[in-house]
Amino acid sequence: MATAVQHYTSYKARPFTREQRDTTTILFGGLTWKHERLVQGVFNNLNYKAKPLPNITRADLDAGKELIDVGACCPTIFTTGSLVNFLKTEVAENGKQKTLDDYVFLTAGACGPCRFGQYHESYEMALDGMGLKDFRLFLLAQDQLDQAPEKGGGLEINMPLSLGIVWAILCGDMLTDMEYQTRPYEVNPGETDRVMKESADYLFEVFQKRPIKGKKWGLLAWHFLSSYFADALRVVRKKFDAIEVDRLQVKPKIKITGEFWLQTHEGDGNYNIKHWLEQEGSEVLPPPVAVWLGYLLHTPIWRLQKKAVVDRKVKTKIAMVRGMEKLYVGTYNRFRKALGNVPYELPDQEELKNLASPFFHYELRGGEGHMLVGKALHAHLHKHANMTCELSPYSCMPNTMSQGAMANVQGRYPELLYAPIEIKGDAEVHALSRCQMILTEAKKRAQSEYVEAMARTGMTVEKIRRIEEKRPALKKATYRIPHMGYASTAANYVMHLAGAKAAV
Amino acid sequence: MQTWFGKKASGGSPPPSPRKDRSGLRVGIPKVLNVWSTSQFWVGFLRDLGIESENIVFSSDTSEEQGREFGKGRGTVDCCYPVKSISGHYGELIFGQKKKINIILSPMIYSLPSFMRGHVSETLACTRVMAGPENIKAGFMKESDVFADNGIKYASPFLSMAEPEVVPKQMYDCLKDIFGVDLAECEHAVEAGYRELRAFNKKMRDASREIMAWCARENKPCVLVLGRPYHMDPGIGHEIESDLQAHGYPIVWLQYLPIDDDLMNWIFGEEIKAKKIRSALDISDVWTSSNSSNTNEILWGAKVAARFPWITCVLRLSSYECGMDQPTYTPTQKIVEAAGTLFFKFGDLDSTKPAGSIRIRIETIVHYLAKYSDQIIQKKLVLLPPDCPLLAGKEKTLAAVASNEK
Repeated sequence: MATAVQHYTSYKARPFTREQRDTTTILFGGLTWKHERLVQGVFNNLNYKAKPLPNITRADLDAGKELIDVGACCPTIFTTGSLVNFLKTEVAENGKQKTLDDYVFLTAGACGPCRFGQYHESYEMALDGMGLKDFRLFLLAQDQLDQAPEKGGGLEINMPLSLGIVWAILCGDMLTDMEYQTRPYEVNPGETDRVMKESADYLFEVFQKRPIKGKKWGLLAWHFLSSYFADALRVVRKKFDAIEVDRLQVKPKIKITGEFWLQTHEGDGNYNIKHWLEQEGSEVLPPPVAVWLGYLLHTPIWRLQKKAVVDRKVKTKIAMVRGMEKLYVGTYNRFRKALGNVPYELPDQEELKNLASPFFHYELRGGEGHMLVGKALHAHLHKHANMTCELSPYSCMPNTMSQGAMANVQGRYPELLYAPIEIKGDAEVHALSRCQMILTEAKKRAQSEYVEAMARTGMTVEKIRRIEEKRPALKKATYRIPHMGYASTAANYVMHLAGAKAAV
Repeated sequence: MQTWFGKKASGGSPPPSPRKDRSGLRVGIPKVLNVWSTSQFWVGFLRDLGIESENIVFSSDTSEEQGREFGKGRGTVDCCYPVKSISGHYGELIFGQKKKINIILSPMIYSLPSFMRGHVSETLACTRVMAGPENIKAGFMKESDVFADNGIKYASPFLSMAEPEVVPKQMYDCLKDIFGVDLAECEHAVEAGYRELRAFNKKMRDASREIMAWCARENKPCVLVLGRPYHMDPGIGHEIESDLQAHGYPIVWLQYLPIDDDLMNWIFGEEIKAKKIRSALDISDVWTSSNSSNTNEILWGAKVAARFPWITCVLRLSSYECGMDQPTYTPTQKIVEAAGTLFFKFGDLDSTKPAGSIRIRIETIVHYLAKYSDQIIQKKLVLLPPDCPLLAGKEKTLAAVASNEK
């Protein structure tokens, strides 16, 4: 029988051995620079060399488009282009073989049927197109804390690594929440960014020096029970204490939702929309990565409930997941407390599900599932935001579906301000002008809230300034303004100072 | 009453009684997306619930006219045409029936009962396809509830069809009030639905085998269509394969390729022995993230096309903005072309049929088929063992002689 034909086979990474750890750098990306800095600390803590890819730029879009199949969504194109441009530079500076030997790339895999779980196919195609098929690429499953060692044993995706990454993400979320609540109101421009940099560097050290107590369950218990990270966040709180803010500036609060990568990203990949919104006079509610992790943790409960008829151990399994969830949310709240409860609470997954249910089935997987509908309604009904800005990649499969369902939501809640922004990566003016149209209405609403709060309480700017003089703590970034029934910070601040009851 | 844990006879257990009289109910099913590969399940399910055959109404094939007449103004987002076109199907079932529909049944099919289950990671539906009904429903409810306004009940069960054991409960949760069914009735009807679907799939696979056996006997080429089930809809796939068939080339669809052991062993046996793959339906050698059911089947179909001698040409159909197909474009082409099989892609298919360009391309394909098919057949025949199970004894010998001569 002839064997001349070589049938096609997909990419298989060559081994990354334990011996290569000291000389090989693990590349990663996909989060904000803060999260990535802390994750880098986790890798270093476990004696890996690691480096986040440079922040995404417009040039990455062009590089990605050149090398992968047409029709990809912009997160795929941007992230592929980012890897491509980094490797191009390395090859130019150090040569092909050294680049192949010195780096591996770790990326998230698995997201059911969504294209997100297939990004690696695009990376592989790009590597092939660059003549770097021997470059090593590994997948990190989002739903498995303890995976088998990657080929060669150089990279072990085990509990110490996975727990470290999760805790780094939670701390990264804390920093991000502090940042976005402080910067719009800072009295001395640039101060928040400076403190953020200091805080991220400090927490990087904290993660780098994390003690490894136990291997599996012992280590898990230590992460849940130890005050190591909460103590570190208390140090961060002190740094933020020094930032003076003026919360009487009336700014609409804009909640960001959307496809995971686009909503999390801070850079050219989403037209820098969070910073743009701040420049346009808004306060941004950034999306914590922790909500996504909470969703991953909670969804097995729904799947188990469906199997109750055929699986008699369901109750025990559900109890175990609920227990884990309580510990997770408890840890998040401990971290919040360490920062004076300034960062926002995580939304209750059951509430998100119930809010979304009339419009979008909670078991529909892919992307953020029902959460986009649930989060928009949650923010609107609880008056946590004046407007929701949903960032979706052009041709995003799951997001377009929930965006469609939002038409029904808007029919029932016509007062909900919702700006679905389709992002291609190269149509900035179109996207921002669309957002600005709805932002104009959000600004009016924030102003109305402020006027109403002043009228209800009989407060004046002069009175408030006098109170602030007597109570300087009010002007600290770490002073928590309780939610008094208004979306915008200024209105809640007025109500709080007047000691008024929450607005209905 | 039969319990869930009770064993069921393979021929189906007797229907639970007493059953409500549902003979007067008319049920409309939008003939879209994965209903194209599960339609017989719905027929079996509804008939078992007591719905008369003539009262099970599938919407027409997709067409631009249908969209214009019944779906205009109902779209909520811009997305792929197979999903976008559903508005027209809903509208037709609401407004376009001489005899009124009582219930619209538009399932959200989360996972599929694919023949590849057990050989791949998962057999999930595309995220857009599973959520399509929620999106389209919004267009009929954003101003007022058009279903209720027209006296129609809307039912959209969420179904994990790859897990038959959970389907009755999923059906019951959604349909209990709409059809007045109990769980036992759902169990029975679901069983009937799967039975009907299995029988239909077997019939179709047998028919494909007959075509392929004819090609083997006559040493003639056939063409394999690699597309999603809804590309069988003339309004979505634009009948490109029919245009090619008109030139005398038999067509087989990947969804109904025969998967009999003898044939699979002939095609993949050597690779299984060499431990390159675990089974004939294993695609881990060509595709890592085997989560999407239709994507998995497309990649497997490409592998078959690359190996089966008498499939000398592949027609790849793909709709505009299909995010599931997008990462597969290059791998599929590379798989198919590895042993010289012809590969022609019709991508970015949308609502309008580009008749002129299709005709020109069909002429090109026919030219290549006529010119290269014999070479392709012989090239691939020598790569396989001589005992092709599609050929009878004497024909086998002839084929073996032919391979040896080459």
